[in-house]
Amino acid sequence: MLLEIFDPKAPPRAIGIDLGTTNSLVAYVKNERPTAIQDCNQHALLPSAVHYGDRGEVVVGEDALKRAAEHPRETIVSVKRFMGRGADDPETRRLGPYEFTSPKNGDANVVRFAVRDRVVTPVEVSAEILRALKRLAEDELRSVGGAVITVPAYFDDAQRQATKDAGRLAGLDVLRLLNEPTAAALAYGLEKKQNGKFAVYDLGGGTFDITILVLDDGVFQVKSTGGDSALGGDDMDRALAEELFTLAKRDSKTASPGEVRVVLDVARQVKHGLTDASEVEVENPLGKEPKTLLVTRERFDALVEPLLARTGTACKRALRDAETKPEDLDGIILVGGSTRVPAVRTYVAKLFGKEPLADIDPDQVVALGAAVQANLLAGHGNTDEVLLLDVIPLSLGIEVGGGVVDRVLPRNTTTPAAARASYTTQEDNQTGFEIHVVQGERELAADCRSLARFTLKGIPPMAAGMARLEVTFRVDADGLLSVHAREERTGLEQTVEVKPSYGLDDETVEQMLIDAIDHGEDDLLARRVAETRVEAHRIGTSTKKSIDSDAELLVAGERETIEAALAALDEAAKGTDPRKIQLRIDDLDAATKDFAGRRMNRAIAKAIEGQRLDAVERTVEHAKGIELAHGSPLPPEGG
Amino acid sequence: MQDSQDPFALLGVERRFDLDLKVLEKTHRELSRALHPDKFAQAGASERRAVLEKAASVNEAWRTVRDPIKRAEALFKLAGIKVGEDNEPKATTAFLMEVLEEREALSEARAAKDLAKVRAVGETMTKRAEATQKKLADGFATAGSPVEKLVPLLGELRFYKRFLDEVAAIEEENES
Repeated sequence: MLLEIFDPKAPPRAIGIDLGTTNSLVAYVKNERPTAIQDCNQHALLPSAVHYGDRGEVVVGEDALKRAAEHPRETIVSVKRFMGRGADDPETRRLGPYEFTSPKNGDANVVRFAVRDRVVTPVEVSAEILRALKRLAEDELRSVGGAVITVPAYFDDAQRQATKDAGRLAGLDVLRLLNEPTAAALAYGLEKKQNGKFAVYDLGGGTFDITILVLDDGVFQVKSTGGDSALGGDDMDRALAEELFTLAKRDSKTASPGEVRVVLDVARQVKHGLTDASEVEVENPLGKEPKTLLVTRERFDALVEPLLARTGTACKRALRDAETKPEDLDGIILVGGSTRVPAVRTYVAKLFGKEPLADIDPDQVVALGAAVQANLLAGHGNTDEVLLLDVIPLSLGIEVGGGVVDRVLPRNTTTPAAARASYTTQEDNQTGFEIHVVQGERELAADCRSLARFTLKGIPPMAAGMARLEVTFRVDADGLLSVHAREERTGLEQTVEVKPSYGLDDETVEQMLIDAIDHGEDDLLARRVAETRVEAHRIGTSTKKSIDSDAELLVAGERETIEAALAALDEAAKGTDPRKIQLRIDDLDAATKDFAGRRMNRAIAKAIEGQRLDAVERTVEHAKGIELAHGSPLPPEGG
Repeated sequence: MQDSQDPFALLGVERRFDLDLKVLEKTHRELSRALHPDKFAQAGASERRAVLEKAASVNEAWRTVRDPIKRAEALFKLAGIKVGEDNEPKATTAFLMEVLEEREALSEARAAKDLAKVRAVGETMTKRAEATQKKLADGFATAGSPVEKLVPLLGELRFYKRFLDEVAAIEEENES
């Protein structure tokens, strides 16, 4: 075997991370092929388990799992199921060994695990897993650039935000949150260079997603998505564990946390065994009588049947939303370790009327797709070849009178998305608006997920119905929402501080970062300098490229101004003051603003022109010059 | 975001009701390709923000233009006519009488759990909605004809939409 020699000046490489419920892994693009990174034991899968030791040490992965039986409360598994959830979420009351604590007054309403003498949130636990993956990547690549982290397509805003916070906390530059099914399709699509309509059936450890998408010459357009962010292999384990308790003639409610943990582990082994065997017999983990417990495949299939029926309902709805029938599909892609269960494959084949595809390892396919996307976002590969058009999984709306939801952005709207809605006052002299942002499909706000509340204050007294409040929703390419409100008559405007209903605010995450560094992680300032330099380099390179490639769009003297700003930035980047570097970045930003606007308008004009030439007969008679942002007219037809 | 007021201009098509959605879908895709945030991942903050705004308005325009109700609303708005359910005239008795029969047929089919009948009623209504769309297309295309006369057709489209949503909901409850 050849020894790979490390290049100490190796450029940072972008990575793709699948942060899974049961297992996580990291991949990157190596010689133009996405490749999963293995640990020293040639394992690519890192169990998503975190153990908090009695001397303050944190253990992640296989070693953490080994301690789970002895320390069930101090070892967190399947933390993904708790991401973005409130302290009183039903998830915290399911069969499991943890101890939870309620948030103190004023603390964010998030799940809190009590482990030994400390309290940790799911964001912090996930950050430990991400840190371990980052270390793994650093061992292989020396220097890690940005990261794409995948999330279930059905994750709501709070769950996405929590994932992004965890990335930040782990010291990762999160380039993008990517939906898992889209990532899988990316891995498949590039592999096969195939066009058509596909369904991605993704049953992981704790989440289920169904996505219908169209692949057309490198464009991956998601038509619809649906699922259940609390349904997966864990639920199979729980169903099987309850069965084991029954067979052992014990009541699960009276079991100790340790027993619950052990039985859940045995259940998982039985499940794995039943993938190939028609029955599995295990030693009774709960006592001597009976000596062994026997589970047949048939019994297991019956136990998981209700879970599979839940996936079927979501699949039918997604098909309807995409205005697609099963026979229109060119293929079904299986993703997630739970799709190894034979009952799942049989169910999927029956539901869609064709055998599903599973030729890329269902455990790895998501991370491989994420690596491809990370590579593209880092500026490698051809961005003209691949385009991902994703959607919002659940409708976003505002609570109006009577607790009814006014839908501002319906589910399956393509991102990035923006929409506005207008409201008025209900009472005379009302001086404030309370705005409650919710996500979900139900009619009543109380039945939807609460995302945030805020108040627009200081409206001058007016008669009811006189004030006009315009609320703007924006969803970025990560699927994350921001809200902006404005009172039209007075011009009163607030880019409101959105207090998340179930999440950590920026200050808390910042504080966690500082605390992590106190624990001897690394130096905050050094990290800031490094991050700002990377940013400076990125923007500098891209600006240099564009003033050369689009030189004809520069007006007199503009090149000189931009080049002066570039030189100043280069100079600042040699220093060690992140604030100075940031100031020069802002200066360069200002110097290139108009030029960037012109470049964007030309890109739009080109895109429309190309299409007109395609459809010249149909559109030629009404082809007119169009007015664009910044008020600048487009070049004439054919330009 | 002034340009998002005119979704037709943003997508570079004429203001008309009968658009070729297949062609328009390709235009939208090309615009998305040109403006997708992924292509600007390396750019400066203000450029990224501007592109994100633009991509969002292009998506919004496409959402408006591809949906018959939203498309008609946009055309009325551009012609200076206030629409929205509070501003539109109530449905005429004649129209309500016409659709009463279908409404009753749907209730009966639902009660009898007769899925074939539910679908058949749905198809009748789809045909009616298509006919209304044709009338709108012709009305908007006829130069000099007063556009406000077309407003009741928009009300009819809304009615058909709600009716067909109900059909879909009944189908869903009977399937699962």
